[in-house]
Amino acid sequence: MIPLLVGITFITFSLTKALPGDPVFSIVGERSSPETIEKIRKEIGADKSVIRQYAGYITLLSQGELGRSYYTNRNVADEIALKFPNTLLLAFAAMGIAVPFGVLLGFMAALQRGRAADKIITMLSVTGVSTPVFWSGLLLMLLFSLRLKILPPSGTDGLQYLVLPAITLSLPALAALVRVTRITVVDVMDLQFIRTAKAKGLTETSINRIHIMKNALIPVITVIGLEFGSYLNGAVLTETIFGWDGMGRFAMEGIIKRDYPVIMGCLLIGTIVFVLVNLIVDIVYHSVDPRVRMHGTDR
Amino acid sequence: MGPAGRAEIRTFSPAISFFLALSLIACTASDRIAGYVHYRINYNPTTLDPALIVDVTGGLIAAKLFNGLVRLDENLEVSPDLAESWNISSNGTIYTFHLRKDARFSNGRALSAADVKYSFERILDPRGKSPNTWILDSISGAKAFMKGKNSEVAGIKLSGPHTIQIILEKPFSPFLNLLTMTAAYVVPQEEVRKWGDDFTAHPVGTGPFRLTQWKHNSHLLLDRNEDYFGGRAMSKGLRYRIIPEDLTAITEFELGNLDVISVPASEYRRIINTADKNLVSSVEGINTYYLGFNCSRPPFDDIRARRAVSLAIDRKRILETFYEGRGRLAHGPIPDILRHWDAPVLPDYDPAGARKLADAAGLKERKIQFYITADPEVVDIAEIIQSYLRSAGLSVTIKQLEWSSYKAAINNGEADMFWISWWADYPDPDNFLFPLFHSSNHGPGGNRTRYTNRAVDALIEAGQKSSSRVTRDRYYRLAERAIVEDVPWVFFWHKKDITVRQTTLRNYRIFPIYSIDKGMEVFF
Repeated sequence: MIPLLVGITFITFSLTKALPGDPVFSIVGERSSPETIEKIRKEIGADKSVIRQYAGYITLLSQGELGRSYYTNRNVADEIALKFPNTLLLAFAAMGIAVPFGVLLGFMAALQRGRAADKIITMLSVTGVSTPVFWSGLLLMLLFSLRLKILPPSGTDGLQYLVLPAITLSLPALAALVRVTRITVVDVMDLQFIRTAKAKGLTETSINRIHIMKNALIPVITVIGLEFGSYLNGAVLTETIFGWDGMGRFAMEGIIKRDYPVIMGCLLIGTIVFVLVNLIVDIVYHSVDPRVRMHGTDR
Repeated sequence: MGPAGRAEIRTFSPAISFFLALSLIACTASDRIAGYVHYRINYNPTTLDPALIVDVTGGLIAAKLFNGLVRLDENLEVSPDLAESWNISSNGTIYTFHLRKDARFSNGRALSAADVKYSFERILDPRGKSPNTWILDSISGAKAFMKGKNSEVAGIKLSGPHTIQIILEKPFSPFLNLLTMTAAYVVPQEEVRKWGDDFTAHPVGTGPFRLTQWKHNSHLLLDRNEDYFGGRAMSKGLRYRIIPEDLTAITEFELGNLDVISVPASEYRRIINTADKNLVSSVEGINTYYLGFNCSRPPFDDIRARRAVSLAIDRKRILETFYEGRGRLAHGPIPDILRHWDAPVLPDYDPAGARKLADAAGLKERKIQFYITADPEVVDIAEIIQSYLRSAGLSVTIKQLEWSSYKAAINNGEADMFWISWWADYPDPDNFLFPLFHSSNHGPGGNRTRYTNRAVDALIEAGQKSSSRVTRDRYYRLAERAIVEDVPWVFFWHKKDITVRQTTLRNYRIFPIYSIDKGMEVFF
């Protein structure tokens, strides 16, 4: 994992430095002398070559530091430690909605293949996948906050603030899970062993639960893993619309201001999270389907 | 219902339970603290350390926490703040300030003149990284101190515990106005030493409020300072909610969770037509929106090319239609509030004249690179300008960049033309002339058009040296006329600030410069 992370830091550092724009011009405000600009450039190390800047960054990382924000002067690691739990909470809540609803609706659609229920669920899932989150977020806010007055529109101060962003964030994943579950369940239902199970006289419930569901789980887990990994890296739009103080909003502000320590810190933590989530997904694959091997294959 | 149907209901039950749990959590949309005035800010202030603040959000909050020697009153005049009185020597170089004796920092310690000296030297300190040195670098000895040649600034002298003398290198009439700015606020040395770099998040000042909570990207809570020398604020405190999205802020306002909001452009028509007129406040902003030309290279080093573009655009029509009258037409770079002389007369929209001039300047054979930011309103304005110029036979390519790249590009002189605005830091014509048109400020200093006219330089410098208002106005009038003649900008408009407030909020006022509002009068 260490070589992977070093590789990732090199790529992200190079890409960040390749971005157009100069952070110094944002730090100095609307007017400044060339001497002040030079002083600040030196202060943040922007006067050194990119290689030396990268070496400095790696040294910093080896000391367990992520640096300080150019603008707020706050410790990036402390900031991420404050924001990551919020993002984690939001990601869990969104997946808590998306997974049961997505899998069950997909399963239902597959069982009702070709009937009205299947068509309605498929139509809704297409709508869900193609609706941008800023649109669904604002609609939910108008309905639940402004009209019904039962949920706060923005903030991070309690569980009631979590409801609208979690639902908004869950919708695309929910719709994607419906589609994937439906397709895989339909595929499994047509396989020989299901007909064998029916011939053996197993009940429909047991066939659905044990044979179909379990065999359809692998692609579903892949989608869950990908969505969850991206949520943990912060859902920029959702967090911005609902004023949710998470990693996505933090990273976005860093990008807008060319705050390199913030961008690099978020990318690094995001990468670690993504790798860990994928590792967990692999472990789950193995427990769901023992044919998926963790250490290569015997041939 | 078959077994499969029952199974579906059973498997649905966790999801139903989840939603029931959510509905139990969801019981209220109210988000207020009684007795506090609730404001919205778009972004987290970058810092609350006066030495480092360069953004308006940081400045408007710092104004509630700190004081300077002097401040601006509602008529934009310099008035006493920590200094009860001051006098200026007849040659205009020695400023003697007499401090009030009852001012205390919110940590309980009394203010002394040494705090002022410390605060000013801290801005100029070569080991620090204040981007605001330009505010104080006219003090005698400041430049040597900034280079690390001296351990003190020679021109800052203590003449007793409550008297401080500031000696300038040469007469500089905007100086008193500059002292009203955020960077000149006074900070206590012991708190800066205690917190080090983290003073940015633990500001301590002498102001009417003190910071009690700063939850990043959520809110800032300011409690009333009971010992404020200027009396007690009328509200218990101020709460600034950080809400980036305009539509979210509107929803919060309509729910009563915010007491005042700036009216976003997208909601202007609806709010103006539906809100009680008494609840809408507006003030003529001290700003100028303009289309800048790069005067240092072809094609816009040719005055005919600049005039052609200026004549080709119907500014008045754009202001009245697209901009819905949210501003006043500009007659030059200086906003009319600050202009104490008759405004220059600009030529009217003249597409035929524009075509002739463009032909003469060879502008029709060129592709003009027009740089803008990604702000949707700016994109719309740029497309309108492009359309006018196309009608005059000019080919304009719009290049859209995000803010920091945009600023780097125009500071480096990459653009042929660019759209931007300038907002006053201090209410003095000098703030619209020296940074924007003096040839020593090309690029990041403010003069992004790289305009160079030695006669204008001399007039601006003469205005800075003159202490008489009448004489200054005469120089500035001449400088403004010369600039208008040279057309380094197409002068568009001065934007109004418009806010809407709740009926329950009392004594609310809107000011053209953020530092005027100390937050004292407003209450419920």
